[in-house]
Amino acid sequence: MTDYRKQFWLGVRDLLPLVSGVLPFGLITGATGVSLGMTPEMVMGMTVLFFAGSAQLAAYSLIQDNAPFVIILLTAVVINLRFVIYSATFAPLLGPLKKRYRFPLAYMLSDQVYGLCSMPDQQQKTDSERLWYLTGVSISMALSWILSVILGVAIGASIPAHWSLEFTIPLAFLAMLVTTISNRLLFFVAIISGSCAIAFQLLPYNAGFILAVTAGVSCGLFIPELFKKRSNKHG
Amino acid sequence: MDNLTLWLLFIAAGLGTFLVRLSFIQLHGSTEALIQRSKKILMLLPPAILAALCVPALVFTRPATEYQIAPSQLVAAAVTIFIAKYSRSVFWPVVGGMLCFWLVQYIIH
Repeated sequence: MTDYRKQFWLGVRDLLPLVSGVLPFGLITGATGVSLGMTPEMVMGMTVLFFAGSAQLAAYSLIQDNAPFVIILLTAVVINLRFVIYSATFAPLLGPLKKRYRFPLAYMLSDQVYGLCSMPDQQQKTDSERLWYLTGVSISMALSWILSVILGVAIGASIPAHWSLEFTIPLAFLAMLVTTISNRLLFFVAIISGSCAIAFQLLPYNAGFILAVTAGVSCGLFIPELFKKRSNKHG
Repeated sequence: MDNLTLWLLFIAAGLGTFLVRLSFIQLHGSTEALIQRSKKILMLLPPAILAALCVPALVFTRPATEYQIAPSQLVAAAVTIFIAKYSRSVFWPVVGGMLCFWLVQYIIH
Protein backbone atom coordinates (compact mmCIF):
# COMPACT_ATOMS: atom_id res chain seq x y z
CA MET A 1 0.00 0.00 0.00
CA THR A 2 2.80 2.44 0.90
CA ASP A 3 4.35 1.65 -2.48
CA TYR A 4 1.17 2.73 -4.26
CA ARG A 5 1.01 5.89 -2.16
CA LYS A 6 4.58 6.62 -3.23
CA GLN A 7 3.56 6.30 -6.90
CA PHE A 8 0.61 8.66 -6.33
CA TRP A 9 2.84 11.37 -4.82
CA LEU A 10 5.45 10.78 -7.52
CA GLY A 11 2.74 11.65 -10.05
CA VAL A 12 1.81 14.80 -8.11
CA ARG A 13 5.47 15.82 -7.93
CA ASP A 14 6.06 15.27 -11.66
CA LEU A 15 3.06 17.43 -12.55
CA LEU A 16 4.17 20.42 -10.44
CA PRO A 17 6.66 21.85 -12.97
CA LEU A 18 3.92 21.69 -15.63
CA VAL A 19 1.73 24.00 -13.52
CA SER A 20 3.81 26.91 -14.86
CA GLY A 21 2.19 26.19 -18.25
CA VAL A 22 -1.28 25.38 -16.91
CA LEU A 23 -1.61 28.47 -14.71
CA PRO A 24 -1.28 31.19 -17.42
CA PHE A 25 -3.60 29.29 -19.78
CA GLY A 26 -6.15 28.97 -16.97
CA LEU A 27 -5.79 32.68 -16.18
CA ILE A 28 -6.49 33.57 -19.83
CA THR A 29 -9.46 31.17 -19.97
CA GLY A 30 -11.01 32.56 -16.78
CA ALA A 31 -10.36 36.24 -17.46
CA THR A 32 -11.56 36.14 -21.08
CA GLY A 33 -14.77 34.37 -20.12
CA VAL A 34 -15.61 37.18 -17.69
CA SER A 35 -14.60 39.84 -20.23
CA LEU A 36 -17.15 38.36 -22.69
CA GLY A 37 -19.88 39.13 -20.17
CA MET A 38 -20.40 35.64 -18.75
CA THR A 39 -21.09 35.30 -15.03
CA PRO A 40 -18.37 33.66 -12.88
CA GLU A 41 -20.74 30.70 -12.27
CA MET A 42 -21.11 30.15 -16.00
CA VAL A 43 -17.38 30.35 -16.65
CA MET A 44 -16.68 27.86 -13.86
CA GLY A 45 -19.56 25.58 -14.90
CA MET A 46 -18.18 25.58 -18.43
CA THR A 47 -14.66 24.88 -17.13
CA VAL A 48 -15.76 21.87 -15.07
CA LEU A 49 -18.00 20.47 -17.84
CA PHE A 50 -15.51 20.99 -20.69
CA PHE A 51 -12.34 20.34 -18.69
CA ALA A 52 -10.49 21.34 -21.88
CA GLY A 53 -9.04 24.84 -22.30
CA SER A 54 -8.66 25.08 -26.07
CA ALA A 55 -12.23 23.85 -26.69
CA GLN A 56 -13.46 26.39 -24.15
CA LEU A 57 -11.64 29.26 -25.92
CA ALA A 58 -13.02 28.06 -29.26
CA ALA A 59 -16.54 28.00 -27.83
CA TYR A 60 -16.04 31.54 -26.48
CA SER A 61 -15.13 32.92 -29.88
CA LEU A 62 -18.02 31.13 -31.60
CA ILE A 63 -20.52 32.23 -28.92
CA GLN A 64 -19.24 35.77 -29.47
CA ASP A 65 -19.88 35.39 -33.23
CA ASN A 66 -23.44 34.16 -32.51
CA ALA A 67 -22.73 30.83 -34.18
CA PRO A 68 -25.55 28.27 -34.02
CA PHE A 69 -25.70 25.65 -31.25
CA VAL A 70 -24.75 22.66 -33.42
CA ILE A 71 -21.67 24.39 -34.88
CA ILE A 72 -20.32 25.33 -31.44
CA LEU A 73 -20.99 21.83 -30.13
CA LEU A 74 -19.31 20.15 -33.11
CA THR A 75 -16.31 22.46 -32.94
CA ALA A 76 -15.77 21.88 -29.23
CA VAL A 77 -15.93 18.11 -29.64
CA VAL A 78 -13.78 18.07 -32.81
CA ILE A 79 -11.06 20.13 -31.10
CA ASN A 80 -11.03 17.46 -28.39
CA LEU A 81 -10.70 14.61 -30.88
CA ARG A 82 -7.02 14.30 -29.94
CA PHE A 83 -8.29 12.69 -26.72
CA VAL A 84 -9.23 9.66 -28.84
CA ILE A 85 -5.51 8.96 -29.18
CA TYR A 86 -5.00 9.33 -25.42
CA SER A 87 -8.00 7.12 -24.78
CA ALA A 88 -6.53 4.44 -27.02
CA THR A 89 -3.15 4.75 -25.30
CA PHE A 90 -4.56 4.18 -21.82
CA ALA A 91 -7.29 1.71 -22.81
CA PRO A 92 -5.28 -1.36 -21.69
CA LEU A 93 -4.67 0.28 -18.31
CA LEU A 94 -8.07 1.88 -17.60
CA GLY A 95 -10.41 -0.39 -19.58
CA PRO A 96 -10.51 -3.26 -17.05
CA LEU A 97 -11.28 -0.92 -14.10
CA LYS A 98 -14.66 -0.65 -12.36
CA LYS A 99 -16.94 2.11 -13.67
CA ARG A 100 -16.53 4.32 -10.60
CA TYR A 101 -12.76 4.48 -11.24
CA ARG A 102 -12.84 4.26 -15.05
CA PHE A 103 -15.20 7.21 -15.60
CA PRO A 104 -13.48 9.79 -13.38
CA LEU A 105 -10.03 8.88 -14.73
CA ALA A 106 -11.33 9.12 -18.32
CA TYR A 107 -12.87 12.52 -17.53
CA MET A 108 -9.52 13.79 -16.25
CA LEU A 109 -7.48 12.70 -19.31
CA SER A 110 -5.51 15.66 -20.64
CA ASP A 111 -2.42 16.57 -22.64
CA GLN A 112 -0.37 16.69 -19.45
CA VAL A 113 -1.57 13.30 -18.20
CA TYR A 114 -0.82 11.78 -21.58
CA GLY A 115 2.60 13.43 -21.71
CA LEU A 116 3.74 12.20 -18.29
CA CYS A 117 2.09 8.78 -18.18
CA SER A 118 3.09 7.56 -21.65
CA MET A 119 6.81 8.17 -21.08
CA PRO A 120 9.10 5.17 -21.68
CA ASP A 121 10.14 4.86 -18.02
CA GLN A 122 6.46 4.38 -17.10
CA GLN A 123 6.25 1.27 -19.28
CA GLN A 124 8.67 -0.56 -16.97
CA LYS A 125 6.36 -0.25 -13.95
CA THR A 126 3.65 -2.72 -13.01
CA ASP A 127 0.07 -1.89 -14.01
CA SER A 128 -1.06 -0.94 -10.51
CA GLU A 129 1.99 1.28 -10.02
CA ARG A 130 1.21 3.02 -13.33
CA LEU A 131 -2.41 3.41 -12.30
CA TRP A 132 -1.54 5.11 -9.01
CA TYR A 133 0.96 7.34 -10.78
CA LEU A 134 -1.70 8.30 -13.35
CA THR A 135 -4.19 9.01 -10.58
CA GLY A 136 -1.70 11.35 -8.86
CA VAL A 137 -0.99 13.23 -12.10
CA SER A 138 -4.70 13.42 -13.03
CA ILE A 139 -5.97 14.74 -9.70
CA SER A 140 -3.25 17.35 -9.29
CA MET A 141 -3.72 18.42 -12.92
CA ALA A 142 -7.50 18.81 -12.46
CA LEU A 143 -7.02 20.84 -9.27
CA SER A 144 -4.41 23.16 -10.76
CA TRP A 145 -6.50 23.74 -13.90
CA ILE A 146 -9.69 24.61 -12.00
CA LEU A 147 -7.85 26.81 -9.46
CA SER A 148 -6.07 28.68 -12.29
CA VAL A 149 -9.39 29.45 -13.99
CA ILE A 150 -10.90 30.65 -10.68
CA LEU A 151 -7.92 32.98 -10.30
CA GLY A 152 -8.43 34.18 -13.87
CA VAL A 153 -12.13 34.89 -13.19
CA ALA A 154 -11.18 36.90 -10.08
CA ILE A 155 -8.58 38.94 -11.95
CA GLY A 156 -10.66 39.30 -15.13
CA ALA A 157 -13.49 41.08 -13.31
CA SER A 158 -11.18 44.01 -12.53
CA ILE A 159 -9.83 44.51 -16.06
CA PRO A 160 -11.48 47.39 -18.00
CA ALA A 161 -13.31 46.55 -21.26
CA HIS A 162 -11.33 48.93 -23.49
CA TRP A 163 -8.23 46.77 -22.98
CA SER A 164 -9.89 44.36 -25.50
CA LEU A 165 -8.83 41.34 -23.46
CA GLU A 166 -10.90 39.11 -25.77
CA PHE A 167 -8.21 39.63 -28.41
CA THR A 168 -6.14 37.11 -26.42
CA ILE A 169 -8.39 34.36 -27.88
CA PRO A 170 -7.23 34.57 -31.52
CA LEU A 171 -3.66 35.22 -30.29
CA ALA A 172 -3.75 32.05 -28.17
CA PHE A 173 -5.06 30.06 -31.15
CA LEU A 174 -2.33 31.54 -33.32
CA ALA A 175 0.34 30.49 -30.80
CA MET A 176 -1.15 26.97 -30.66
CA LEU A 177 -1.27 26.91 -34.46
CA VAL A 178 2.43 27.75 -34.71
CA THR A 179 3.31 24.93 -32.28
CA THR A 180 1.13 22.37 -34.15
CA ILE A 181 2.73 23.07 -37.54
CA SER A 182 5.56 20.55 -37.63
CA ASN A 183 5.92 20.05 -41.38
CA ARG A 184 5.21 21.71 -44.73
CA LEU A 185 1.95 19.84 -45.32
CA LEU A 186 0.44 21.08 -42.05
CA PHE A 187 1.60 24.62 -42.88
CA PHE A 188 -0.19 24.33 -46.23
CA VAL A 189 -3.36 23.03 -44.54
CA ALA A 190 -3.32 26.05 -42.21
CA ILE A 191 -2.86 28.48 -45.12
CA ILE A 192 -5.77 26.95 -47.09
CA SER A 193 -8.05 26.83 -44.07
CA GLY A 194 -7.17 30.38 -42.96
CA SER A 195 -7.70 31.87 -46.44
CA CYS A 196 -11.03 30.06 -46.86
CA ALA A 197 -12.13 31.29 -43.42
CA ILE A 198 -11.48 34.86 -44.57
CA ALA A 199 -13.13 34.37 -47.95
CA PHE A 200 -16.29 32.83 -46.45
CA GLN A 201 -16.45 34.75 -43.16
CA LEU A 202 -19.67 36.57 -44.00
CA LEU A 203 -21.63 33.40 -44.80
CA PRO A 204 -24.54 32.83 -42.38
CA TYR A 205 -24.50 30.27 -39.52
CA ASN A 206 -20.70 30.19 -39.47
CA ALA A 207 -20.82 27.94 -42.52
CA GLY A 208 -17.55 29.57 -43.55
CA PHE A 209 -15.77 28.04 -40.57
CA ILE A 210 -16.89 24.49 -41.38
CA LEU A 211 -16.12 25.03 -45.09
CA ALA A 212 -12.63 26.27 -44.24
CA VAL A 213 -11.81 23.30 -41.98
CA THR A 214 -13.18 20.85 -44.58
CA ALA A 215 -11.18 22.53 -47.36
CA GLY A 216 -7.99 22.47 -45.27
CA VAL A 217 -8.30 18.81 -44.30
CA SER A 218 -9.31 17.71 -47.83
CA CYS A 219 -6.29 19.48 -49.31
CA GLY A 220 -4.11 17.85 -46.67
CA LEU A 221 -5.39 14.41 -47.69
CA PHE A 222 -5.34 15.13 -51.44
CA ILE A 223 -1.96 16.84 -51.94
CA PRO A 224 0.32 13.98 -50.80
CA GLU A 225 -1.62 11.61 -53.13
CA LEU A 226 -1.03 14.01 -56.01
CA PHE A 227 2.72 14.06 -55.38
CA LYS A 228 2.80 10.28 -55.03
CA LYS A 229 1.12 9.82 -58.42
CA ARG A 230 3.45 12.28 -60.11
CA SER A 231 6.62 10.70 -58.75
CA ASN A 232 5.30 7.28 -59.79
CA LYS A 233 4.89 8.50 -63.38
CA HIS A 234 8.40 9.87 -63.53
CA GLY A 235 9.98 6.93 -61.77
CA MET B 1 -27.79 33.20 -26.96
CA ASP B 2 -29.69 33.14 -23.65
CA ASN B 3 -28.30 31.59 -20.50
CA LEU B 4 -30.37 28.41 -20.63
CA THR B 5 -29.21 27.65 -24.17
CA LEU B 6 -25.62 28.33 -23.11
CA TRP B 7 -25.92 25.88 -20.21
CA LEU B 8 -27.42 23.26 -22.54
CA LEU B 9 -24.50 23.86 -24.88
CA PHE B 10 -21.94 23.49 -22.08
CA ILE B 11 -23.50 20.25 -20.85
CA ALA B 12 -23.73 18.80 -24.38
CA ALA B 13 -20.14 19.78 -25.21
CA GLY B 14 -18.92 18.50 -21.85
CA LEU B 15 -20.66 15.18 -22.40
CA GLY B 16 -19.32 14.95 -25.96
CA THR B 17 -15.79 15.62 -24.73
CA PHE B 18 -16.13 13.02 -22.00
CA LEU B 19 -17.32 10.42 -24.53
CA VAL B 20 -14.33 11.21 -26.76
CA ARG B 21 -12.03 10.70 -23.78
CA LEU B 22 -13.80 7.49 -22.74
CA SER B 23 -14.06 6.10 -26.30
CA PHE B 24 -11.19 3.64 -26.51
CA ILE B 25 -11.04 2.98 -22.81
CA GLN B 26 -14.65 1.77 -23.01
CA LEU B 27 -14.19 -0.12 -26.28
CA HIS B 28 -10.92 -1.58 -25.08
CA GLY B 29 -9.74 -4.39 -27.32
CA SER B 30 -12.31 -4.15 -30.11
CA THR B 31 -11.24 -1.29 -32.37
CA GLU B 32 -7.52 -1.18 -33.06
CA ALA B 33 -7.89 -0.78 -36.84
CA LEU B 34 -10.17 2.27 -36.70
CA ILE B 35 -7.62 4.54 -35.03
CA GLN B 36 -4.96 3.60 -37.60
CA ARG B 37 -7.29 4.66 -40.40
CA SER B 38 -8.37 7.93 -38.81
CA LYS B 39 -4.85 8.96 -37.73
CA LYS B 40 -4.23 10.98 -40.91
CA ILE B 41 -7.37 13.10 -40.49
CA LEU B 42 -6.74 13.51 -36.76
CA MET B 43 -3.30 14.91 -37.58
CA LEU B 44 -4.67 17.39 -40.15
CA LEU B 45 -7.61 18.66 -38.06
CA PRO B 46 -5.77 20.79 -35.46
CA PRO B 47 -4.01 23.17 -37.90
CA ALA B 48 -7.16 23.43 -40.06
CA ILE B 49 -9.43 24.27 -37.10
CA LEU B 50 -6.99 26.62 -35.38
CA ALA B 51 -6.31 28.56 -38.59
CA ALA B 52 -10.02 28.86 -39.44
CA LEU B 53 -10.71 30.09 -35.90
CA CYS B 54 -7.99 32.71 -35.59
CA VAL B 55 -7.18 34.09 -39.06
CA PRO B 56 -10.39 36.11 -39.69
CA ALA B 57 -10.41 37.41 -36.10
CA LEU B 58 -6.78 38.53 -36.47
CA VAL B 59 -7.08 40.24 -39.85
CA PHE B 60 -10.42 42.02 -39.41
CA THR B 61 -12.00 44.01 -36.59
CA ARG B 62 -14.89 42.39 -34.70
CA PRO B 63 -17.88 42.23 -34.98
CA ALA B 64 -17.34 41.22 -38.59
CA THR B 65 -20.05 43.14 -40.39
CA GLU B 66 -17.70 44.51 -43.04
CA TYR B 67 -14.19 43.78 -44.22
CA GLN B 68 -12.24 46.29 -42.15
CA ILE B 69 -8.57 45.43 -41.70
CA ALA B 70 -7.03 46.16 -38.26
CA PRO B 71 -3.32 47.07 -38.49
CA SER B 72 -2.69 46.87 -34.73
CA GLN B 73 -4.02 43.29 -34.71
CA LEU B 74 -1.81 42.32 -37.67
CA VAL B 75 1.32 43.64 -35.92
CA ALA B 76 0.33 41.78 -32.74
CA ALA B 77 -0.20 38.58 -34.76
CA ALA B 78 3.26 38.89 -36.37
CA VAL B 79 4.88 39.31 -32.95
CA THR B 80 2.92 36.33 -31.59
CA ILE B 81 4.06 34.10 -34.48
CA PHE B 82 7.65 35.19 -33.94
CA ILE B 83 7.65 34.46 -30.18
CA ALA B 84 5.71 31.19 -30.61
CA LYS B 85 8.34 29.95 -33.08
CA TYR B 86 11.04 30.24 -30.44
CA SER B 87 9.26 29.68 -27.11
CA ARG B 88 6.95 26.77 -28.14
CA SER B 89 4.51 27.83 -25.41
CA VAL B 90 1.13 29.56 -25.54
CA PHE B 91 1.53 32.07 -22.72
CA TRP B 92 4.53 34.20 -23.75
CA PRO B 93 3.42 34.67 -27.38
CA VAL B 94 0.01 35.88 -26.16
CA VAL B 95 1.60 38.27 -23.63
CA GLY B 96 3.99 39.63 -26.27
CA GLY B 97 1.21 39.99 -28.81
CA MET B 98 -1.11 41.79 -26.38
CA LEU B 99 1.62 44.24 -25.27
CA CYS B 100 2.35 45.00 -28.90
CA PHE B 101 -1.38 45.39 -29.66
CA TRP B 102 -1.81 47.91 -26.81
CA LEU B 103 1.33 49.80 -27.87
CA VAL B 104 0.19 50.19 -31.50
CA GLN B 105 -3.33 51.20 -30.39
CA TYR B 106 -1.82 53.81 -28.06
CA ILE B 107 0.36 55.22 -30.88
CA ILE B 108 -2.53 55.31 -33.39
CA HIS B 109 -5.02 57.06 -31.07
